Amino acid sequence: MALCQNRLQEERKQWRKDHPFGFYARPQKNQQGVLDLKIWECGIPGKEKTIWEGGLFKLVVTFPDEYPTKPPKCKFVPPLFHPNVYPSGTVCLSILNEEEAWKPAITMKQILLGIQDLLNDPNPESPAQAEAYNLFKKDRVEYERRIKRVVRENAAP
Amino acid sequence: MLTKIDALPPFQALAHPLRNPGGESKIFTRLLKAGTIPPQTRKRPSAEATTSPISDDTTRPNKKPQLASAGKHHHHQGPEAAPPTPLTTTNGNDSSHSDIDLAAADAMDSDDDFMSNLSSEEDMMMQEDDSENDMSNPEDFDFDDEPDLDAGIKDSQQNKKRNYLDIDFKVYRPEDIQKQQDDLVDEVNMILDISKEEAAILLRHFRWNRERLIEDYMDKPRQVLDAAGLAQTAADKPRLQVIPGFMCDICCEDGDNLQSFAIKCGHRYCVDCYRQYLSQKIREEGEAARIQCPSDGCNLIIDARSLDLLVTPELADRYHELLMRTYVEDKETLKWCPSPDCANAIECGVKKKDLTKVVPTVSCLCGHRFCFGCIYTDHQPAPCDLVKRWLKKCADDSETANWISANTKECPKCNSTIEKNGGCNHMTCRKCKYEFCWMCMGLWSEHGTSWYNCNRFEEKSGSEARDAQAKSRVSLERYLHYYNRYHNHEQSARLDKDLYVKTEKKMVELQKQSGMSWIEVQYLQSASQALQTCRQTLMWTYAFAFYLARNNLTEIFESNQKDLEMAVENLSEMFEKPVQDLAQPGLKVDIMDKTAYCNKRRVILLEDTAENLQKGKWTFNIDLTSGAPVVSPSVNPGVTANPGTSSGR
Repeated sequence: MALCQNRLQEERKQWRKDHPFGFYARPQKNQQGVLDLKIWECGIPGKEKTIWEGGLFKLVVTFPDEYPTKPPKCKFVPPLFHPNVYPSGTVCLSILNEEEAWKPAITMKQILLGIQDLLNDPNPESPAQAEAYNLFKKDRVEYERRIKRVVRENAAP
Repeated sequence: MLTKIDALPPFQALAHPLRNPGGESKIFTRLLKAGTIPPQTRKRPSAEATTSPISDDTTRPNKKPQLASAGKHHHHQGPEAAPPTPLTTTNGNDSSHSDIDLAAADAMDSDDDFMSNLSSEEDMMMQEDDSENDMSNPEDFDFDDEPDLDAGIKDSQQNKKRNYLDIDFKVYRPEDIQKQQDDLVDEVNMILDISKEEAAILLRHFRWNRERLIEDYMDKPRQVLDAAGLAQTAADKPRLQVIPGFMCDICCEDGDNLQSFAIKCGHRYCVDCYRQYLSQKIREEGEAARIQCPSDGCNLIIDARSLDLLVTPELADRYHELLMRTYVEDKETLKWCPSPDCANAIECGVKKKDLTKVVPTVSCLCGHRFCFGCIYTDHQPAPCDLVKRWLKKCADDSETANWISANTKECPKCNSTIEKNGGCNHMTCRKCKYEFCWMCMGLWSEHGTSWYNCNRFEEKSGSEARDAQAKSRVSLERYLHYYNRYHNHEQSARLDKDLYVKTEKKMVELQKQSGMSWIEVQYLQSASQALQTCRQTLMWTYAFAFYLARNNLTEIFESNQKDLEMAVENLSEMFEKPVQDLAQPGLKVDIMDKTAYCNKRRVILLEDTAENLQKGKWTFNIDLTSGAPVVSPSVNPGVTANPGTSSGR
């Protein structure tokens, strides 16, 4: 527990010192108005020169008590139209899976950049939602049209 | 990488010393013997191996036949592993490895079967007591002694016909498994001049295929090290360090006396975080062979020495246990004994594709007999695939479907399944209120005046429906015939589980009443064991017969089955007699005779089945090679699974 809090404080310090352009990440305030380090609100911009450019996608990152031994849970709010995002909005990514590539040394910055990469480079080997996956596999034109709509709906300010 | 290896020019592959065709059995022998050779001489064989490869150049194209003959040779040398005489196979004690048993086994070929059977039984029983200590001595596994060789050849000649039941296998205790690994590690450590920990990691990466490892490593060491998760550089031995100004990237601590640790990649973390990480991997995820550095993207594997340095002894034990498991699981020829609390592993060369031809029944030192192919308890004579189908058939409700089609019809309008539970032929579907005739399934209103006496009964549609129903009933009855017999033996075998205790009690009582000695009442023990094994076999003969097509061979099989069954029931009846009857000398001889007879009948049945299986002579009413069973046409295909879209991993 102490490890979790320590690490999250340090993550926050590091993020405030330096973070990639267009991103944001801040701990949520709970009902009493106190910062809750274990739930962060984040924003991931679509990469330039991709169909995702111009969008900013809201993500809630929840850290378990066992963090950093176990990975945080990342969830798009509202759920995102993407082959590797579950209907609930949870992101399916190897570095976020403790039995796969999660390592305790992975930082917030690496997670968010990893998810940004995933946007334009979905992994058809582990589909998480049927709709986006099917369109991605079968009708790329319609898939891209849908993405552009999603980007318009989540335009960066 | 795989494809590259295959594409190696032949000379390159040949140039390697350890790729010799006979190597498999040779090295095996060495491993087994290693325990008896003093350490300084242990190096010799591999040195030999590195200097004697030239002759292999010429033998390379013949590799396959040579390998086969090597296997054959090996078989001659190891008759104890799979006893050559049927009687040892039947008594469930066939795992004893000793010269005495071999002698006993030889003796059993003589005419007075039951007496020698008895004596061998006693031998085994006496053996069993000290086998605990004996088996740990590697000398017991030394099959290569000269006299054994002779005996093996003699036996195989005598029993040429009986080879169909022989399965080559060996039982390894945990210490043997550990030793095999250690020996392999030592060898690679010596040949490649890398540390033992690294050798172990490399071997695991190559799934303990030493030849491929060495070949690949000689060819492209950098890539091999990289793929296996080893560092290129030689660094100091891993140790805990206190480095001034160090901050751990995981917990962000930076105390002055913070102990830290790094493997060769240099990604340094504090000891607490390292421990936390390792215990998560080992305890929670059951990972051991592939625990990587905690740094993102670094695929260096944490070696055993570093691990022992960091974690509690308890966790280290767990780690080594998991490592040992990967060894057995990595090797196709090794399998754990499935018996609870048994830590032994069994080595057997029977491949998956051979399973339609043989039923590789092996028995562990713990006494558990099982099929090496599917790990299920001894299911001779039925091959694995039939067993799987049979168990599935008995378990799932495919028979429910059969019953439904034999006893119900579907509403012609809404397809609801309807069972007619009495009354006249005028049916009204409870669901859709459709009215129809149960006989012709036609609309009721069309029956005109011939209500309650369908005159359309003889029409084609009606007769087809009747045929289908009759067929379904026949197939159901056929299944029930076999199932009831199978189930009967299964249940008897289950009841026999406490037979051992009962038998012992009976033996003690008999001793008291008749004044016979303990050794003189042993025949009851043999009888009870024979009963159990024979019932187990009988049980599976019914599953086997269910899938047999009717022909001459099947007739022979069934008559063998009948003989065995009758013998078993007779023996069972004698066995159940009250103790005062058992004390009569006549009955004792009868029981001993019958026991020997049962065992013999069982072996005859199994040999016959195994021989025909090997030669592919059986005709089954299903296709053994394809996956799907032949669906009987009468089964109601109404319900189909809804293929949902899968999401997630």
